[in-house]
Amino acid sequence: MHKRFTRVSALIRKELIQILRDRGTLLMILGLPLLEMFLFAYAVNMTVDHIPTAVADLSMGQSGQTFLQAMEISEFFDLDIHVTSEAAVIEAIEDGEAMAGIVIPPDFEAAVERGSGQVLVLLDGSDSYTVQSGYRAATAIAQSQSLAVTAEKLTRSGASGMSLPLFTSTRVLYNPNMDGMTFMVPGVVGMLLQMLTISSTAMSVVREHELGIMEQILITPARSLDLIVGKLVPNVLLAIVDLLIVLGTGIFWFKVPFQGSFGLFALLSLTFIISGLGMGLLVSTFSKTQKEAQQMSSMLLMLSMLLTGLIYPRANMPAAVKFVGDLIPVTYYFRIIRGIMTKGVGMAFMWQDALVLLIYGVVVMTVAVKLFKKRLD
Amino acid sequence: MSLLRIWTVTQKGFIHILRDKRTLMMMLSIPMLQLLLFGYAIDMNVDHVPTVIADQSHDAESRAYIESVEASSYFDVVGYVAGPDEMAAAIDRGDAHAGIFIPPDFAAQLKRGDAQVSFLVDGSDVLTAQSAYAMAGTLGQNYAGQVQLQKMEAMGFQIKANPIDARVRILYNPNMENIWFTIPGMCAMILQIQTIALTAASVVREREAGTIEQLLVTPIRPIELMIGKVIPNLILAMVNMLSILALGVFVFGVPFQGSFRLFFWLSLLYSFSGLGLGLLISTVSKNQNQAQQIIMAVMLVGLVLGGFLFPRDTMPQVLRIIGNIFPLTYFIPISRGIITKGVGLGMLWEQVAGLVLYVAVIMIAASRAFRQGLD
Repeated sequence: MHKRFTRVSALIRKELIQILRDRGTLLMILGLPLLEMFLFAYAVNMTVDHIPTAVADLSMGQSGQTFLQAMEISEFFDLDIHVTSEAAVIEAIEDGEAMAGIVIPPDFEAAVERGSGQVLVLLDGSDSYTVQSGYRAATAIAQSQSLAVTAEKLTRSGASGMSLPLFTSTRVLYNPNMDGMTFMVPGVVGMLLQMLTISSTAMSVVREHELGIMEQILITPARSLDLIVGKLVPNVLLAIVDLLIVLGTGIFWFKVPFQGSFGLFALLSLTFIISGLGMGLLVSTFSKTQKEAQQMSSMLLMLSMLLTGLIYPRANMPAAVKFVGDLIPVTYYFRIIRGIMTKGVGMAFMWQDALVLLIYGVVVMTVAVKLFKKRLD
Repeated sequence: MSLLRIWTVTQKGFIHILRDKRTLMMMLSIPMLQLLLFGYAIDMNVDHVPTVIADQSHDAESRAYIESVEASSYFDVVGYVAGPDEMAAAIDRGDAHAGIFIPPDFAAQLKRGDAQVSFLVDGSDVLTAQSAYAMAGTLGQNYAGQVQLQKMEAMGFQIKANPIDARVRILYNPNMENIWFTIPGMCAMILQIQTIALTAASVVREREAGTIEQLLVTPIRPIELMIGKVIPNLILAMVNMLSILALGVFVFGVPFQGSFRLFFWLSLLYSFSGLGLGLLISTVSKNQNQAQQIIMAVMLVGLVLGGFLFPRDTMPQVLRIIGNIFPLTYFIPISRGIITKGVGLGMLWEQVAGLVLYVAVIMIAASRAFRQGLD
């Protein structure tokens, strides 16, 4: 037993030395997470406002002016360009000078009085974010303007100040200001852990294979299981260091809240890391060259970014797409990490996700180790 | 410069690629897979938010309100709970992302004119939270207006429902089809990733394997080697991109409004930016692992800042400037402009000029670095 331990620790040491020697990669591994976090935190903003807008007010009446003022005040639309026809508005959008357009028809004033005023809002459909934001903003503003007009009419007709009979209050749980960083930091932590565990394991294995070092190691008395452990432990350590760096930055620099239990978080993260390493081993058994391993890792990265709930909510994805996301372990980890960090919930609410990760880790590891052993022999 | 020598190296590159059937398969199928997933997964429009309702009023008015909530496609009622605490618990568990609480005296309050409804929204998911927040407000306003109207009519006032109606017309993509948004961006992304990764990988691999020395012994000149290496990857990447485009246009029915010829030539130009970047990366990486890491970094940063996944308009100035370092940033407006809007060179000349400059600079830098690296 003692001999075995010596062998394994020797392998671990060798792997660590290799990792530390490759300073370039090391820098990359430690720096990339931070880079990504800063990037996501500052760059990601889903709602577009100050949309450059072209306006054609053909009515020149009071109601039109009020409506346009409301659009401007909302800060969703910047009424920069004033033209005199619908065609000119469309041309401004085609040119790319404006992303939205408002056309107020000549008879708007009278129409509003009659109760059937219509405003035309044009949106540049080539940019999805603008369209979403613009659509929502335009309809909301039109609606509130409608209500304002109605209220005014009522006051004029003699009805005493009729206020809206219904008041809606909205409270946002966990993240009252809907702060993007609170949302992204846990996501980035998860993403990077996955990237790191999968790619570094896969690459290191394949690289040795390619360079032929594998044969040399096989000559030593080390058993294949020792080899595997020797490969995995340093990568686990690296992943943990990375995790702490990213998390630390998130909490102390970005002031992202950490509501729940750190112990629970550590335990579940470890489980996730193991499942990631298992996947890395799997990728390495299926790739003959480094290029292949790289391709597979990149694909996994791509899929993970989109299908796992990192940015885009999974609730509305079609079943087939959701299913693919269900196969990726980080999907469950996202729920766990957001649950602990942002919501502050405990095991009681997350045991299903935790169980899935555990099973995943065990299964993948077993399969990977078996295949790996077979390959070595 | 000898065309024959260039052609030989090119041929060698092709043989390499074709021999590696598995990688080839992967490379051709992965983008298609991505397209299918991208097209359906990225949906910025968050509606049908799973919602629980705590209706403590249980009268006709509260039911009418709940019905109006269900009728809008904003919130999907997934369950009824007893009260606000249970609502919060449901959101904690993740069973729902929103909750609506209707207090006990709803009908009477509505009549008096001071009814209150409370929405609870899951803030751990910012996209959903922002949408739900906005939708809650809109719904509330809408319903309140309707109730008011009914009251008015009951009192004998003749007031029309919506004196101001905004008719929204969305140019180029009237139905806000998700995949129409994604295809142009995907073409840009795939071309960029493939050109950079393939080029860097092929050069570094040879350097690692030591075959570069063997090549240098031949009468081939560095520039010819460079061109020969670049061409197979260029063709592969273009084929990839075009097959995605074809898939989008012929299978998903994405309209291609502009000139295909223009798009083709501009894509070719754009590819050279990636090829140049790939070459540059290959000169600064000592091994495949490093190259991969650098590529991943470039990819990540470029993707986030380029304007495909997130809007550039809302980014702080600094990040927008950094985004200009990536060729993706220039090509996405070009791609969108030609495919979705159907505009021509006239509207796109700024981006095209930027791209031309970029390619020129990078190819010069890359070839110089490449030649130096060989010595």
